[in-house]
Amino acid sequence: MKETLLTIYEKDATKKVLASLISILVGLFVGTIVVVVVGLTKDTITGKGIWDGVRLIFAGILSTGRDAAGNLTWGYNAQSLGNMLFRATPLVMTGLSVAVAYKTGLFNIGAPGQYLMGTMASLMIALGIPSETVPAGLIWVLAFLGGCLAGALWGCIPGALKAFLNINEVLACIMTNWLAANLVTWAFDISNFKNVVENTKAGYIYKTTFNGVATPKLGLDKIFPGSQVNGGILIAIVIAIAMYILINKTTLGYQLKACGSNRHAARYAGINDKRNIVLSMAIAGALSAGGAALYWLSGNTEFYWSTYQSLPATGFNGIPVALLAVSNPIGVIFTAIFMAMLDIVGQQLTGYTAYNEYITDVIIAVIVYLSAFSLVIRMMLTGKQKAGAVNANAEPKDDQSDKPQKGGQEA
Amino acid sequence: MQSEYIIEMLNIRKEFPGIVANDNITLQLRPGEIHALLGENGAGKSTLMSVLFGLYQPEAGEIRKNGQVVKINNPNDATALHIGMVHQHFKLVDVFTVLDNIILGAEDTKMGFLQRSVARKKVQELSEKYKLYVDLDAKVEDITVGMQQRTEILKMLYRDNEILIFDEPTAVLTPQEIDELMEIMRGFAKEGKSILFITHKLNEIMAVADRCTVLRKGKYIGTVNIKDTNKQELSNMMVGRPVQLQVQKDEAKPGDVILDVKGLTVHSKTSKKNAVHDVSFQVRAGEIVCIAGIDGNGQTELVYGLTGLEKPSAGHITLCGHDISKASIHKRSQTGLSHIPEDRHKHGLVLDDTLENNLVLQSFQEPRFQKFGFIKRDAVRAYAEKIIGQYDVRSGQGPVTITRSMSGGNQQKAIIGREIDRGCPLLIAVQPTRGLDVGAIEYIHAQLVAQRDAGKAVLLVSLELDEVMNVADRILVMYEGEIVGELNPKTTTVQELGLYMSGAKRSGKGGAQA
Repeated sequence: MKETLLTIYEKDATKKVLASLISILVGLFVGTIVVVVVGLTKDTITGKGIWDGVRLIFAGILSTGRDAAGNLTWGYNAQSLGNMLFRATPLVMTGLSVAVAYKTGLFNIGAPGQYLMGTMASLMIALGIPSETVPAGLIWVLAFLGGCLAGALWGCIPGALKAFLNINEVLACIMTNWLAANLVTWAFDISNFKNVVENTKAGYIYKTTFNGVATPKLGLDKIFPGSQVNGGILIAIVIAIAMYILINKTTLGYQLKACGSNRHAARYAGINDKRNIVLSMAIAGALSAGGAALYWLSGNTEFYWSTYQSLPATGFNGIPVALLAVSNPIGVIFTAIFMAMLDIVGQQLTGYTAYNEYITDVIIAVIVYLSAFSLVIRMMLTGKQKAGAVNANAEPKDDQSDKPQKGGQEA
Repeated sequence: MQSEYIIEMLNIRKEFPGIVANDNITLQLRPGEIHALLGENGAGKSTLMSVLFGLYQPEAGEIRKNGQVVKINNPNDATALHIGMVHQHFKLVDVFTVLDNIILGAEDTKMGFLQRSVARKKVQELSEKYKLYVDLDAKVEDITVGMQQRTEILKMLYRDNEILIFDEPTAVLTPQEIDELMEIMRGFAKEGKSILFITHKLNEIMAVADRCTVLRKGKYIGTVNIKDTNKQELSNMMVGRPVQLQVQKDEAKPGDVILDVKGLTVHSKTSKKNAVHDVSFQVRAGEIVCIAGIDGNGQTELVYGLTGLEKPSAGHITLCGHDISKASIHKRSQTGLSHIPEDRHKHGLVLDDTLENNLVLQSFQEPRFQKFGFIKRDAVRAYAEKIIGQYDVRSGQGPVTITRSMSGGNQQKAIIGREIDRGCPLLIAVQPTRGLDVGAIEYIHAQLVAQRDAGKAVLLVSLELDEVMNVADRILVMYEGEIVGELNPKTTTVQELGLYMSGAKRSGKGGAQA
């Protein structure tokens, strides 16, 4: 038994998972500290209030409210769980976007821009094609694919700049993000999709149900009654599995990975590195935009069209989702659901305690920092054994020949 | 008390996780002697020098200077003991002048201002005394490698070091420059300075050293007087078995022209001049043509031009009758070009990927390894196992070993196996033995000759004179981007080759035509 456990522990994959779990736990504990400190400094929060806050941080997803005596109650909360899956849907997609690009050695910080382009294209198609003449199901498919295509093209821009002019993709992505923010605002501003019917709510785009378009529920509403969940999460999971297969089992994935880990070697072997870099960013863009399409086509979401001053957090949150999942597409499903859970926890804190949802933003921020650290944690976990294993069959020369030179006479 | 030795390293032991790099090693340096330290890669030479320099602390053993036990905790302690080192890769600031580099870290100052004139005078005196000619006001990036090395030597002298360590100092020099360096080293020894000379080149040890200490796999093998030994004995001590120093091969039987290069010109990325200028030559089936030359004379760019890694700006390349001057890398490799790259870490391998994936780097698109875009993992695995067996590639976990964890020699064997197995009519091998130990070099040379005998055309690019003289059937010498001479290894001498390599001699225009 002990030996089986040990061999499991020895595996690289286990260490990756462990490192991510440690990041998450540390993040939750820091959140706890914040809850305690805030509780102690605010008169309105009692000791019991602090304890409630701490419990909600760890198990808010299973909270069902308060009973008559004012104590928190726990149990299966279909609405929270359903909403969690609904919010996880676009996160899975943006997480995949960052993860796939990362496999090709690219840091896709352009997910927010691609997400916005996907939002624009999918909403315009969904609202623009009259549902009297075209079946709503077909409109949905066209809107989803159109969104993906817009994102793919948008992703191509930094990809092409990187491939042909060797411009850093991070810079290019940041630029295209803000281009997208302004472009989308402008395009909706001159469109007639702005919701002027409900006068109290100016500045929103119509729900797609206005045109009869909505993501099918695929029975999930039966499992999670009262929530926003729909079939989108299943589509996202299928896409994640498809990405896993693409990266690990196909020649395309092999090429992308080869370009990612050593562009020079890929070129040497006759792999078209430029094409692969553009392609990788196009796939990443399509995934981000697909996430936007799944979110906004659901039929129960409204897009605030004047977005030129802010970028969607869902796009940026793809980065911690991918980092926590160590860029593994299957892992992305779980880390995205976890991030969505924190979102729900934030709502529970606001709803049931004197705290507000910004506490969970602190937790997410800590996890984002630590997810970058998860590499370090992984090295600490692997540290000793790995050094030994490598040295045992490697020539020490490669490791050591440079060291005497390090100090040198200047030292 | 006066000791017989100026520096003694006694019973040094240094361990790294999983390996003993130095196991009970003793090295005793006499004043005024040139002492060679000989060993293959990984024998522990660098570790031992790091211990002497204070970069590593030994687990056991002691260091004595003039009989007194000393503790060297960091390089500053070593400098205080007047130990200086010329590193294999120079430690110079490219944009500083030679003078500034020499005084860097040991500047004379007066009220916080540099006293360059004092330093200049001292450096000039040293430079004249030891015939180390440098241009003190030139920037390091503009001077030759030889002058950079003299700058490094002056750096040691400027600090009044009396124990001078030279780490593989001849790797970057021409035969003539090597002779000069040897002369300088002898001059130092005459002055009473003590020299530790780290190398794996037996000729140089025989020429200049008084004594030689041999290490093998972290163990001390022995110290011998050069007067009482010979090259074969030294190499046997180094490798631990009798080694074939001479490559065994029969007369070449050149056949059809496989590679025909006409007027090839490649632009330089770093300067306005052409890195390769109007180069023409042919390689026939069944012969090994070797491009010789000092590093940085356009060999790398020539190979880039041939393999497609860089676009030539002019000229024609014909491979097996097909014009591939403008073809993509993929097309060239399909037409029949195998390439053992100069930099196996940059080009040769995707280091963080598995061995099996690396073995199909060019061929993964072939139907035998994929179906409808899905990789046939079983086929790849079987192929990898075949190559591993055939070329004796040793690794921790076989086909799924991450190539980064393999030793340099085995990485190179994997690349060679991959390239040879593709069965292309032309094999371009660029410095295939760089950084490898004698055993691996012997193996790779045998493989190259076997390919030649199997009727392949082999183009070998090498910086090692021994390799050039031993393996080649024809030698083309490159100097400043041009082929300046064609030599027959049977009739030429290393000295003549050196004259061509340094640009002092060249055949008439067109002399390079095959």
